[in-house]
Amino acid sequence: MGRKILLVEDDRETAAYLAKGLTQEGHSVEQATNGQDGLFRATDGTFDLVILDRMLPVLDGLSVLKALRAARIETPVLILSALASVGDRIEGLEHGSDDYLVKPFSFAELLARVNALLRRRESRIDPADHRLTVGDLEIDPLSRSVKRGGKKLDLKPREYLLLEYFARNEGRVVTRTMLLEQVWDYHFDPGTNVIDVHVSRLRRKLDDGFEKPLLHTVRGAGYMLAA
Amino acid sequence: MPTTLRIALLAGLLALLSNVAVVGFIYWRTHDESLSTVRRQVVEQGKVVSDMYRVGGQPALDDAVEDAITYGDPQVVAALLDRSGRQVIGNLTVVPTEGGRLQEGYRTALLRLKNQSTPREAAMVVHRLPNGQWLISGRTVGEGLALRETLESSLLLSLVVAGLLGLICGIIQAQYVGRRVGDIAAVADSISGHDLSRRVPLSGSGDAFDRLGQQINAMLDRISRLMEELRILTDSLAHDLRTPVSRLRSAAQAAAEASDPKEQEELLAGVIRQSDILIRILSAVLEISRSEALTGRNQFTWFDARELADKLAEMYEPLAEEAGATLRYAKPAHPLPMFGHRQLLAQAVSNLIENAIRYGAAGGEIEVAVTRPDGHVRIAVCDRGPGIPSELRGEARRRFGRLDSSRSDEGAGLGLALAEAIAHLHDGQLVLEDNAPGLLTAIEVPLRHEGAAPSLQ
Repeated sequence: MGRKILLVEDDRETAAYLAKGLTQEGHSVEQATNGQDGLFRATDGTFDLVILDRMLPVLDGLSVLKALRAARIETPVLILSALASVGDRIEGLEHGSDDYLVKPFSFAELLARVNALLRRRESRIDPADHRLTVGDLEIDPLSRSVKRGGKKLDLKPREYLLLEYFARNEGRVVTRTMLLEQVWDYHFDPGTNVIDVHVSRLRRKLDDGFEKPLLHTVRGAGYMLAA
Repeated sequence: MPTTLRIALLAGLLALLSNVAVVGFIYWRTHDESLSTVRRQVVEQGKVVSDMYRVGGQPALDDAVEDAITYGDPQVVAALLDRSGRQVIGNLTVVPTEGGRLQEGYRTALLRLKNQSTPREAAMVVHRLPNGQWLISGRTVGEGLALRETLESSLLLSLVVAGLLGLICGIIQAQYVGRRVGDIAAVADSISGHDLSRRVPLSGSGDAFDRLGQQINAMLDRISRLMEELRILTDSLAHDLRTPVSRLRSAAQAAAEASDPKEQEELLAGVIRQSDILIRILSAVLEISRSEALTGRNQFTWFDARELADKLAEMYEPLAEEAGATLRYAKPAHPLPMFGHRQLLAQAVSNLIENAIRYGAAGGEIEVAVTRPDGHVRIAVCDRGPGIPSELRGEARRRFGRLDSSRSDEGAGLGLALAEAIAHLHDGQLVLEDNAPGLLTAIEVPLRHEGAAPSLQ
């Protein structure tokens, strides 16, 4: 289950903290402390994921990313940055990164995103229209119909998208910002618990009347769909 | 050389040059063309008469001169003079000498002929014949030459006058320009000396200098407003960060002192929550200054404002319901294409909706509406809550401006300020109006015409 992750980060403290956490999760972490070194190692192409700081000595993160994509190396890249404005995030994503995380962040948030990116790489092989099942929950992405225990659930379009995203990340923590970015395509931080309200509505439709809940709250991190 | 003198000389020089051009043109047209014609004719005529002598000798010449005087054109000048220059035959009243002597060749002179009462300008050729006699042949050219001569001297004089006038005009202009520019420079000087209160005096004529002055004054107004805002912002930032930072500190302290692990965990969660509030405040401040600096315009795209409002209304509808209000959105039938920063506009509108839910939910109804008033796209959020009295609306727009200080835990007072900054990024404005009862907030953005709007489905 352990994967090879390249961590390009010039701040020793952050790098050590992340490397320790990711290693504990069973991944093997290689480190680079400047952009040039990072690019050199990443062109190797054997990594499953590159975590790239945006502001790096010698060569900045976006240039590393551009060079990687120009060399047709499609390793997923997660950008870390202290540049937090909406424009910065969009710029990062437009340069071909797969995800963008703003500093400061919680380790739980980073881990959830790392796992989602690693998972996405796996599932690229599966056809997108494959039926998704979680326990007694069945989702058909083609007809967008959802059944639990054989009983059809009546979901609104957005609730369906929310559930499909949860199901595609089955057994993994999904954070509120991930939901906002992936399900709503918004890159700003709402000042309210608007996401929680949507999740609790979905939960009511999904779990009410069933003995075993599927949608769990993970304290301090987010939510998880698991049988 | 002082600028004033330089401007004066330049103006004088330009006046002189343009006059020289005009005068030169007049001179060229009146002088050269007609004079050369007369000269050609006169020389031709002189040759014909002197040829008479060569062919027919003295008698033929005498006859020719006599004939020319008697039967010829009254304008003809013809005279045969002996060696000493005395007129033998001819219609001259005075022999035109030059310094008392006759000279061969073409010349012009003022002459009175025997049949004329007044002197006329004449062009003539003087030939010396082989026998030592002088032959003068030519014709008067009416008043043309005299007029021309007067004209030429007047033209010359006019050049001098024009040069002088130009110089005077230049001096007057330079002084005027210098004074007006001096006013502006004086204001600029006092600004360098950190006095932002001075303004350029306007003459009220609406001329270029007034317009320049107005521009500078408007710029100064904006600079002083920005500086004042910056001062308030820095003050408020320092002030407003004190509360969350001190809460953070006490939460951390409590967590450090807690003995029960479960209690400690809860307190640490509080520490993280307080840090998140701080981060959110800082991100909002950053986003505001980014938008005010107009960065992000390169990320503008075409999108349907109707869909943007639709998605946000759908997103906030459950939250409004939890707060006890219904959120309505009447989606217009046709797409409303607009050019802008989709993410930032969505954030601005979400701030308006969140505000309506937070402060206006008690009114029971919140309405989102997208309209297209005269060249603008307007996304409005109306509630039926307590509203904001008009005298407090300015405060509501301000960064960290909070109307109810007791509600300090909710939001940082940056929502409307950010919405306004985003509206400014789009050359638009944030509207705050009385919804009678309640509050109407709206982002109003002018439609842009950069490229044709794509058809949106």
